[in-house]
Amino acid sequence: MSVVADSRRLVLERIRAATGKSAPERGANADAGLAQGYIRRGELTVRARHERFIERLREYDAEVVECSPEGLPSTIAAVLAASGRRRFVAPPGIPAAWYVEAAWKIEGFECVLDHGLETSEIEQAEGVITGCFCGIAGSGTIVLHHSACEGRRVITLLPDWHLCVVRASQVVETLPEYFEKSREQAAGKEQKVELPRLVTWISGPSATADIEMTRIKGVHGPRFLNVILVRDREQAAGNREQKAGTEGLEDRAQGQ
Amino acid sequence: MSATAEHPILDPAKAQPFPVAALPVLKNSQLRKNVAHAIDVIGAKRTRVVLEKTDWQALRASASRIKDEALGNLAAYLEQFEERCTAAGGQVHWAADAADARRIILELLRAEGADEVINIKTMTSGEIQLNPFLEAAGIKAYETDLAEIILQLGEGEPSHIVVPALHVNRGQVRDIFARAMGIPNLCDEPEALTAAARSYLRQKFLTVPAAISGANFLIAETGAVAIVESEGNGRMCLTLPRTMITLVGIEKVLPRFEDLEVMLQLLARSATGERMSPYTSLWTGVTPGDGPQKFHVVLLDNGRSGILRRPKERQTLRCIRCGACMNNCPVYRQTGGHAYGSVYPGPIGAILTPQLEQLKHAQSLPYASSLCGACYEVCPVRINIPEILIDLRAQVTDQERGTAKKFFDPMYVGLRGANVIFARPWLFHAAQWLGRVGLKFFTRKDGWIHALPGVGAKWTETRDLRGLPRQTFHEWWAERAADPSHLSRKDKDAAKVGHPQVSESLGRPGAGAESDEQRADSLILPGKGAK
Ligand code: SF4
Repeated sequence: MSVVADSRRLVLERIRAATGKSAPERGANADAGLAQGYIRRGELTVRARHERFIERLREYDAEVVECSPEGLPSTIAAVLAASGRRRFVAPPGIPAAWYVEAAWKIEGFECVLDHGLETSEIEQAEGVITGCFCGIAGSGTIVLHHSACEGRRVITLLPDWHLCVVRASQVVETLPEYFEKSREQAAGKEQKVELPRLVTWISGPSATADIEMTRIKGVHGPRFLNVILVRDREQAAGNREQKAGTEGLEDRAQGQ
Repeated sequence: MSATAEHPILDPAKAQPFPVAALPVLKNSQLRKNVAHAIDVIGAKRTRVVLEKTDWQALRASASRIKDEALGNLAAYLEQFEERCTAAGGQVHWAADAADARRIILELLRAEGADEVINIKTMTSGEIQLNPFLEAAGIKAYETDLAEIILQLGEGEPSHIVVPALHVNRGQVRDIFARAMGIPNLCDEPEALTAAARSYLRQKFLTVPAAISGANFLIAETGAVAIVESEGNGRMCLTLPRTMITLVGIEKVLPRFEDLEVMLQLLARSATGERMSPYTSLWTGVTPGDGPQKFHVVLLDNGRSGILRRPKERQTLRCIRCGACMNNCPVYRQTGGHAYGSVYPGPIGAILTPQLEQLKHAQSLPYASSLCGACYEVCPVRINIPEILIDLRAQVTDQERGTAKKFFDPMYVGLRGANVIFARPWLFHAAQWLGRVGLKFFTRKDGWIHALPGVGAKWTETRDLRGLPRQTFHEWWAERAADPSHLSRKDKDAAKVGHPQVSESLGRPGAGAESDEQRADSLILPGKGAK
């Protein structure tokens, strides 16, 4: 074990000798206004933001449909039916309303909730249905924090087809807005600030351009990414940030 | 493909000097076509998504400030990362050099009882030459990135840090896959080839107990690790196995969670011309019920702390390995990556490799550049690569000058001679005279020298040399002063009072049209003296 301790000391000593700072006096957590001058807040109207989100998702080969909150169950059922797939897996926290109508309409439909499924069982599923923490319009990204509504990482990875339900109030315009939202959510919790431990930013289906720079959809992750954008309260443009924040919390609460 | 191009040596200690290693590539037009095509495609995509970011320069400036802050307080941030990562259930190991890192990883794999391991493309494992080491120890490492599979099965070497197999075209990939996967009737459509790789690896992902990855970023504030990828092989590796080992350079740490908002906006755009890569994953230690239940981070120094010492060179460690510098490098475009003799090719390799080797190897790399500055312009963290190249050239020269081997090197002999000559005017004039007389034999009627013997041939092999004028500037000046009939009236007046108008107008940018003409005249006059 002493070799290990030696390496640690050696590396740290070398670094301190090079940087000329002997102790962790100011280093850690010094927020010295390093990051500045770039765009943090988006400027689009609510509608334009949603349109951009859709446009950018589509640009990277995702399928997007929009619906009203009331129309969500039937839209989900329609998208699932159109996929031609029957066996789905979903995180335990998603509302039952999301799949009840599909179960009723689609013959042979099966949706297994992931209460600690084995990898081999997940591997059997043809698709996965999840919610998300946030959508980012600027890059056409959906963000998973892997709460009960978004599921363990593995369930959005093995099935070949992913349906993600995004509420319009969850969509921000810029990446910095996502980080702000994460930080706010962390601070809003009862306990001490806890930032997300697991995050997956998904921008379009898995892809590669390794052979002659030809973009190919689907290598190891899902080959198909489908997004349903639920138009909830988009008229409430005035206090969107606040709403977006609470929505995220509700999502988590639902799942727990 | 010639043997050398097919089996390049990516070990700086053994690789040939850049100009020698580049030769086989320069003769391989297929390879050059593949490289040019790939970087043109990425370049065009990059330009598009960079131009739509109106705040690109502010992002670059922020990124370089964040990195400088992290590097300036590196020890503190690493300790903070260690503490937070450990608190979250991870285990942090420190490796002073490559051997250290290899030993740590082998011990971890042995403890896991693994005889197979899956790899996510990592530059660091290439740097410490991990795979051959594990293989020798009886552990088979499977690469999972499509490009890396192509290289591993085809026994090739990476030539780019983001698209490592860009020098291989679809026909070549088909041949490699058909042979190694036993699918003789595989077609050469990229889609079919990708599907073949998918099914080839699926079983490995589900059964191999341990994975090795690199990392794009470490977050000191939370102890989290982030990886940016496209294919999902990374997510497979960091979700499915029981044990996960992340090998990462010490320079990859960022102070805060929010620093990612800057880095992630820059990285994918610079690397692949996408706004975000399909998958960016961040995880913190171990999460019960989700992903590997044993997680190790190996922090690798291997020469990096040495780079920290010089303030100018420290910039090197800002690098986020996006590859934009090589995609835009006119030298890389012609030579591809193998000639750089290291897993780090292109402009970043030209500065990083010699420094990691403490200038004991790879001394030719600082010269593998035209110093055009394109790399600096595109670099998302604003590394002034030309500046570092020049500094390294000086260091190489300082180092070589003292060695016995270079004592009789024509360049150093010449420079020592010049040192003596330039210090003594009479010697200088004698040398000029000798040079003019000597070169006369080689100067053709058109006033150009087309071929020189000996060392001089190195120059004339590729370009002509202007013959020396019959008169030196000093001679011309003396003659001109003695015979005022050469001069215009104004000049004569000036000459009388001892202020040569010509030289003054040379040094004054705002001078009028007349003196501009004079300036032009005066510049060609010495040559015209021959008429
Ligand atoms: S030096 Fe700059 S441009 Fe080159 S790989 Fe590193 S970050 Fe990218």
